[in-house]
Amino acid sequence: MARMKFLCDVERCIDCSGCVIACKEGNHVPVGINRRRVVTLNEGKPGEKSISVSCMHCSDAPCIAVCPVDAIYQRDDGVVLVSKKTCIGCGYCFMACPFGAPQFPAGNVFGARGAMDKCTMCAGGPEETFSDEEHKLYGQNRIAEGKVPLCAGMCATKALLAGDADVVADVYRQRVFQRGAGVNAWGWSKAYPKK
Amino acid sequence: MTNSLNDIRHAKSMIFIGSNATEAHPVAMQHILHAKEKNNAPIVVVDPRFTKLAAKATDFVRIRPGTDAAYMMGLVNAVIQNGWEDKEFLRARVAGYEEMAEIASHYTPEVVEDITGIPADDVTRVAKLLANNRPTSLTWCMGGTQHHIGSSITRAFCILQLVLGNMGKSGGGTNIFRGHDNVQGATDMCILSHSLPAYYGLSDGAWQHWCRVWDVDYDYITSRFKDKKWMNSKGFTLARWYEGVIQEEKIHQYTPIKALIQWGCGPNSNSQYHKVRKAYDMLDLVVVVDPFPTMTAALGGKDNIYILPSSSQYETSGSVTSTSRQIQWRNKVVDPIYDSKSDYDIMAQLVEKLGFAEEFYKNIKQVPEDITRELGRGSLTIGYNGQTPERIKRHMENWHTFNIDDLQAKGGPCDGDYYGMPWPCWSEEHPGTPILYDISKPVMEGGLPFRNRFGRVATYVMSGREEVQLAAEGVCNPGSEIQGGYEEFKEVVPGTNWKTDLSQKTIKEALNKGMAPFGNARARCVVWTFPDQVPVHREPLHSPRPDLIAKYPTYEDQSNHYRVDTRFASEQDPDLIKKFPYVITTGRMVEHMGAGAETRSNQYLAELQPDMYAEINPRTANNIGIRAGGMVEIESPEGGKIKVKAKITERVDERTIFLPFHYGGMFMGESLADNYPKGHEPFAFGEPGNIVTNYGYDIITQIQATKDGLCTIRPA
Repeated sequence: MARMKFLCDVERCIDCSGCVIACKEGNHVPVGINRRRVVTLNEGKPGEKSISVSCMHCSDAPCIAVCPVDAIYQRDDGVVLVSKKTCIGCGYCFMACPFGAPQFPAGNVFGARGAMDKCTMCAGGPEETFSDEEHKLYGQNRIAEGKVPLCAGMCATKALLAGDADVVADVYRQRVFQRGAGVNAWGWSKAYPKK
Repeated sequence: MTNSLNDIRHAKSMIFIGSNATEAHPVAMQHILHAKEKNNAPIVVVDPRFTKLAAKATDFVRIRPGTDAAYMMGLVNAVIQNGWEDKEFLRARVAGYEEMAEIASHYTPEVVEDITGIPADDVTRVAKLLANNRPTSLTWCMGGTQHHIGSSITRAFCILQLVLGNMGKSGGGTNIFRGHDNVQGATDMCILSHSLPAYYGLSDGAWQHWCRVWDVDYDYITSRFKDKKWMNSKGFTLARWYEGVIQEEKIHQYTPIKALIQWGCGPNSNSQYHKVRKAYDMLDLVVVVDPFPTMTAALGGKDNIYILPSSSQYETSGSVTSTSRQIQWRNKVVDPIYDSKSDYDIMAQLVEKLGFAEEFYKNIKQVPEDITRELGRGSLTIGYNGQTPERIKRHMENWHTFNIDDLQAKGGPCDGDYYGMPWPCWSEEHPGTPILYDISKPVMEGGLPFRNRFGRVATYVMSGREEVQLAAEGVCNPGSEIQGGYEEFKEVVPGTNWKTDLSQKTIKEALNKGMAPFGNARARCVVWTFPDQVPVHREPLHSPRPDLIAKYPTYEDQSNHYRVDTRFASEQDPDLIKKFPYVITTGRMVEHMGAGAETRSNQYLAELQPDMYAEINPRTANNIGIRAGGMVEIESPEGGKIKVKAKITERVDERTIFLPFHYGGMFMGESLADNYPKGHEPFAFGEPGNIVTNYGYDIITQIQATKDGLCTIRPA
C-alpha cells in the first residue's frame, strides 16, 4: 500500500503562505490554529530560506507514543489522525512533536485546553467518511476523493509535494538531477564556480 | 509583456529591477524557478531591498532608489565598451543607436557607482553575465515606473534589451508583470485620461473611429461636452485628480471637479493621501463601487458618499486580458449574493437613469459577449479582432491541449492556436502572437516585426544625422512579399488605414502578402517628442545627494500637465535632506493586495499580516533608539504623518525606510473603525503608507513617484 508523505522543496518555497491560506479556508480552521505554517530562516540576509511545515505524519510518531488516552493513531497509509472525541487536551503530544504540529484552541483561564487539532493531510478523521460530523470536526477528506491535500494543490511553485511517497520521491529526484550535481557535490562549488 | 510568463522557461538569464515577483506575482515564480533550475540561468535582482525575490536570486544588486536609468545606461555602456553588443540586430532592426551610445558613454562604471551606490566592478560583472547568458528576460514593475523620470527608466530597460539583441526572441524580451488578471485589459481599454480605447488617442480621427464602432453619431458625442476642445484635451490623472478639487495648484479647466466615482479603485494607493481627504469633503458627490467598503467609504467627513456593493469576479463573467496579452473568459460560479449587483447591472442602471441607454447599448444586446465583440471590432491597433467570445471559450474548455512550454495547442479543437490568442490576433484564422517582434516566424503563424509608427525617415537633433526608420533590406518575416522594411498599410480602402478600416480589408491584404499590417520598422533609441530624447539620469525630486542635484537636475516646472501645474525644478531643494534625512520607498507584501480593502477583510490574511509596519535597518534603529515592535512616527516633507510598528531587518540599508502600502482604516493616528458600515470593518487596520509618500510625478505619464522620497523617523 502507498505510504503518504509531505516534502517541502526549500529551493522552490517562496514564503507566500498560499498553503496556509488554502488549508484554513478549505477546512474552516479557526483563527489562531495553524495546521500549517511557513518558517523563514535568515530573513533579509543572503541565504534566506523558507519552509512550509505541518504534521509530517512520522513513521514512528512520538505523539502516538505519549498520548495517555490513545486518541492518536496511524492509518495503514501513514496518515496520523486524532480522535477529537477521545482527546483530553493534555498537551503531551505538543511536547513530544519535533515539528510543533499539535494545535490547541485558545486557552481559558488556568491553561485549560480543548481537543487537539492538527493537519489531517486532508484525510478527514475517524468519523464516517464524508459525514457531516467528520467535516465539522476535521474538515475535508480529499484523500478519500483521490485528491492531494489543499496545501500542495495550491502551491504556486510546486515546492510543497504531497502524496504517495514513491511518486513524491520521483518528482524530487528528477528536480535534483536537473539542478545538476554541482549543487551539492563536494568541492564542486570551489572547483567549478557558476558563470 | 513582449513574451509570456511561460516563455520565461526558455530564458538563459533573468534580470529583475523594481520587481518583487515573489510577493507580487507568486504564480509567475514557477516559470522563473524552472529556468533557474533547468537552464542553470542566473537570476539578477536589482532592488533597494533584499526582497524575497532576492532570496531566490543568484546575484543581488542593491541600488539607491531612483537611479535605475543610470544603472541601465551603465550596463548598456559596459556592453558596448567590451564589444558584447549584438551588432547584426543593431544594424538591421534598431534606429538612433549611435546617438544613444554617445550618451551612454557618460555612464562609466565609476560614474554609475557614484550615482547608484553599486560598485563599479559589479556593473561590468553583471553586463558580462548577461552578455554570456543570452537570451535574458528583463522584468520591471512599479519600482521602475514610479519615479519622476519613470518614462526614461523604462526606455533604458528596453534599450538594454535591444543592445543585447534580446528582443523578439523566445526566452528574452521585456516582461513587465501586470498586477492582476485584467490589468493588461484595463490598460488596453485605456481606462486613462489621455486616450480612447486601444491607444487611439484623443484626436478627432480617434473619436470618429470609435463613433463608427459604437454606431453613434459623432455630433451627438460632441454635444455631450461643454466645448469640443475638451474632447481633445487630456484629463486629470489618477495620481492628481484631487488637485482638480482642492486646487492647491493651478488647474486648467473651466470648473473644479464636483463629483467622483471610484469603481474598483483602492484610494489609499494615491500618494500624499492626506491631501485626498480634503478633496472628499469638498466634492458634492462621491460614489464607491466595490465588493468591500474601501477607505474612501470611511474617510470622508461629510454626508456625500454613496456605496454601491458590486459582486466579486466569481459572481459574473466576461473576457479579461492577462499579463501575457492572453484573452481569457471568466466564468460565473454563483449568482451575486446579498444586495450586491454585477458591474454590468450597476452600469446598466446608471446609464438608464442618465438617459443614454439607447446609444450606449446600440451594439450590445447580449451581455457580456457583445461587449467583447464590440471592443474587438474597434481595437484594431492591437489586434483584438480575432478573439471572438466563441474562440475564447473554446480555449478555456480545452486547457489540456495547450503545451506548457510554448503555449500552442497541439491537435484538438484549437489546433495551432496560442493559448488566449495573445494580441495582436489579426483575424479569426490567426493563432495569436506569443512573442512580439519575432521575425523568425511568418506573420500568419504568430510572427511580427517592429511597428512602423514614426515615419519613414528621421533626422536627429543631437547629431544632425538622417536615418531611415524601416528595417534593413532582407530583414523580415518568412514569406513576406517585400524582403525588408516597409511602411504601414493604408489606402487599401480609400481614406482609411489598417487601424481605421472597419471592414478589415486592409489587415487581410497585409496578411495575404505575408506582411504585418503595421509595417516593418526599426525600434528607436531616440524619441524626439520627449524632453530626454535618449534616457539620462536625473536626481529624484527629493534627493539625498545635493551634490548630484547640481549635476543631474530635474526638469523645468510644467504648466497644464494633465490640466494641473506640476512642479519639478522649483520642488527640488538640495537642503531638504537636512530636515528629512531618510529615503522612503514603498512596496507590496504577498498577503495583501493593492489598497487592501479585500485582503484586509479576510480573517486569515489579516491573521498572517495584522499590522502596518516600517522596515528599518538594525543600525539605524539603534542609532535613533527604536526597538523591534515599538512604535515609530514617520513624517513626510508634505506634512503627512503616520504612526506604525517598527520591523528591524537587514532587508533595507541604513538610509532607507520601507513601507508596505496596503493598509488603511487609520488616518494620521485616528482610527476610522466607526466610519465603516456596521459589520463591514476590515480585520486588519493600519496607517496607509501613502500618507507619507512624497510629491513628484513623471514628466510624460504623471505617474506618482512613490519609490524615492524623503522622510524623518523618530520613536513615537
